[in-house]
Amino acid sequence: MMKKKPLSKLYLAIILLFLYLPIVYVVVFSFNDSRSLTHFTGFSLEWYEKMFGNQMMMDAIYYTVIIAVIATVVSTIVGTITAIGLSKSRRLIKESITQINNLPMLNPEIVTAIGLMLFFTALNIRLGFITLLLAHIIFCIPYVILSIMPKLRQVDDNLAEAALDLGCTPFKALYKVIIPQILPGIISGALIAFTMSFDDFVISYFVTGPGINNISTYVYTSVRRIDPTVNALSTLIVIAITAILIVVNIVPLIKERKFKKHEEIY
Amino acid sequence: MKSFRRMVYPYIIWAGIFIVIPMLMIVFYAFSKEGNAVMTVSFTLDNFIRFFSDSIFVNVLLRSLKLAIITTIICIVIGYPCAYFMAQLKPNSQTLMVLLVTFPMWINMLVRTYAWRGLLIESGLSPELKVYIGMIYNFLPFMILQVYTSLSKMDRDLITAAHDLGCDNKKAFLKVTLPLSVPGIISGITLVFLPAVSSFFIPRLLGGGSYVLVGNLVENYFVTTGDWNFGSAISLIMTVVILISMYFTRKFDYSKEDR
Amino acid sequence: MKKFISLLLTLAMALTLGACSSDDADAGNNEYGCDVLNVYNWGVYIGEDVINNFQDEFNVKVNYSLFESNEAMYTKILGGSHYDVLVPSDYMIERMIEEDLLQPIDKNIVTNLDNLYDGVLNKPYDPDNTYSVPYFWGNVGIVYDKTIVSEDDVVSQEWEVLRNEKYKGQIYMYDSERDSFMVALKALGYSMNTENEDEINEAYEWLVELDQKMEPAYATDEAIDGLIFGEKAMGVMYSGDAAYILSENENMAFYAPEKSGTNYWNDAMVIPSNADCPGLANEFINFVLEYDQSYDNAATVGYASSNAEVLADMTAAGGDFEGNDAYIPREQNDKDEVFRNNEPVREMISELWIKVKNS
Repeated sequence: MMKKKPLSKLYLAIILLFLYLPIVYVVVFSFNDSRSLTHFTGFSLEWYEKMFGNQMMMDAIYYTVIIAVIATVVSTIVGTITAIGLSKSRRLIKESITQINNLPMLNPEIVTAIGLMLFFTALNIRLGFITLLLAHIIFCIPYVILSIMPKLRQVDDNLAEAALDLGCTPFKALYKVIIPQILPGIISGALIAFTMSFDDFVISYFVTGPGINNISTYVYTSVRRIDPTVNALSTLIVIAITAILIVVNIVPLIKERKFKKHEEIY
Repeated sequence: MKSFRRMVYPYIIWAGIFIVIPMLMIVFYAFSKEGNAVMTVSFTLDNFIRFFSDSIFVNVLLRSLKLAIITTIICIVIGYPCAYFMAQLKPNSQTLMVLLVTFPMWINMLVRTYAWRGLLIESGLSPELKVYIGMIYNFLPFMILQVYTSLSKMDRDLITAAHDLGCDNKKAFLKVTLPLSVPGIISGITLVFLPAVSSFFIPRLLGGGSYVLVGNLVENYFVTTGDWNFGSAISLIMTVVILISMYFTRKFDYSKEDR
Repeated sequence: MKKFISLLLTLAMALTLGACSSDDADAGNNEYGCDVLNVYNWGVYIGEDVINNFQDEFNVKVNYSLFESNEAMYTKILGGSHYDVLVPSDYMIERMIEEDLLQPIDKNIVTNLDNLYDGVLNKPYDPDNTYSVPYFWGNVGIVYDKTIVSEDDVVSQEWEVLRNEKYKGQIYMYDSERDSFMVALKALGYSMNTENEDEINEAYEWLVELDQKMEPAYATDEAIDGLIFGEKAMGVMYSGDAAYILSENENMAFYAPEKSGTNYWNDAMVIPSNADCPGLANEFINFVLEYDQSYDNAATVGYASSNAEVLADMTAAGGDFEGNDAYIPREQNDKDEVFRNNEPVREMISELWIKVKNS
């Protein structure tokens, strides 16, 4: 095995090259000074200028972020509450909710999307910001529940019981005992919810209305003609995601260290 | 503790309204005809007859299945060695590789597909080939990560044991490593095959209008033609086909484990 | 944890409030009773500054959305979406008038109608422009690369050149049932508004043969860049897009078949009957008719303007499209037709079109 190592590293390098090719390409060509997509004719910030002057694009970024944030907060709270309730529920309820939650995760996205569209239209709800937000919350909650449930299984019931016996209100027991133990699950649930919402195209495409675009639907409806401002937008996303990932990956490291110290004391 | 149970009730109502009812609405639309008001609904199989009596529609469905199957197979063929080599690395390098493979997935799929459009615009490749590249690109990381997870969980001692019992590298791989990574492959298949069958923006952006898949049919009947009944029927057919394929994949998994 | 949640909540609240304040605009209290205008238009079909200029001048917010086909737009409207200004094509306007989906233009507000070019007024889809104000107009033809495709072939064979096997693998067909059937029907010498099923079936066969013989790429706007970057050598194109292609790539030429004729079309601004803000919609339409805005539109998009003065300036010496064959569509040709609305035929060709592409 050992002697094969250079070859295996080469293979990994090729895969990474394949995965990063379009990303590097987008970043490089966002600085191109012509519309050409194949020839880099010189450095310019023209497309960034155009992007910031493009109201539709700015709106799309705004809606993407605000919807992702609200959807994450709401679905994380609802998902956490539901997951805790679920862990104490009777089997029948537990099973059926799990099955129902699987629907949007196992169904093709387009099916979930048209289901929601038919539903909103039948109720005569105007497609727009509200339906878009609602749809995002709807498809995020199952992922939050899914990521919290395994953590809840590890929680020792006796601790909460003890807290109750010692005079805690149920809310306090929840807040002081259960939540801290499942916090990693909540955070990863929130993270999944955020990315699901931030990246979503299919569902947004079907449930959005006049003037409300997120980045995905904007890109889809406007790239029939090559538009290098989309490259600038993509570069912005790459930078933002990199920043978020760095924060997300470093903060737990610091936390972990603190936690370890904490453990050492006991 | 039982008081916590009540915390689940609001979501039961929520899920009933926002998950179950929309699904039922698709079924309702699929089995009714245009212009049917809810009050005067009449059950009809017309939409399904229309789909299956026309070889064009069936061909599009078969083409989508073919594309999804080939994409899945290529993802396994390319992704498995990658995951395997990753699992051989030093722990720190492993973490780094996982991060590097995950990173592109965080960037909007549409944005990455759009990038391929620019990359391939002067390539002269056929629309079909471009769609394949886009599909493999988007779904490969899922496969790599799933297989990697199952490989990294594997107990190294098993391989040592196999060697001790006289297996050469190849045999140890075939008899120990590969069977133990099957669950990873299966969940990889789920994550690749499922979205590949129903995908509609990858063929749309990379194949132009020339490469129609079943997802594009659904989009077409909902967005352009406005025939929601037929569109619902197509999406129902698609869902059933996917469920059946998933059933067989899972079955394959279990039968392996039984042995 | 507490801090984390409260931080998130604060952030969410702040953003929600931000969202609300922009939504509050709905209940504006200026003379129009609203200060958000929903405009629904084709992709790449407006000047770079028109929206901003309008927002500044009227102190309102414009929500601008894009559609990619008349049918997609129509479906959205039927689905209950409320827009204030739409820019559909002739036959779609005719259909929407028939179905009572439009409201008359308020000519007390839209006073700039005099700026319009005479050639675009009073067309059969809306005989005295009660409901629609022309926006862009043009015809359809073939854009080809002079270095690869012989001009003689194009001019002598007209639409039939699309089935000339010399150019196999080199062509773009327009990915819309209406335009493709127009090409086939015209090539066969029929009217593009025919209701005769045999003729339509013949056109279907024509397209199937093209599909099998030529291996065309079906595309709409994608073909514009494809032709500019030389991905293919020939394509069916709208005149305005053709003008843009010609201005970007000098090897390209445009020909609108004369003997067989082509589609002469108009896109016009209309106000749906369920518009939330018709007063402002009329103001917007009037605003677009101004010289500066029309000029910005025409210069950005490349289509023939409906504004007479802009149209003249664009092709005059020193204009953006001086000497560009594709810019001004010809007007006097008996073989050219305007699309009419015909529901049964539309359904028939839409089904046939899916079959052509998958044959």
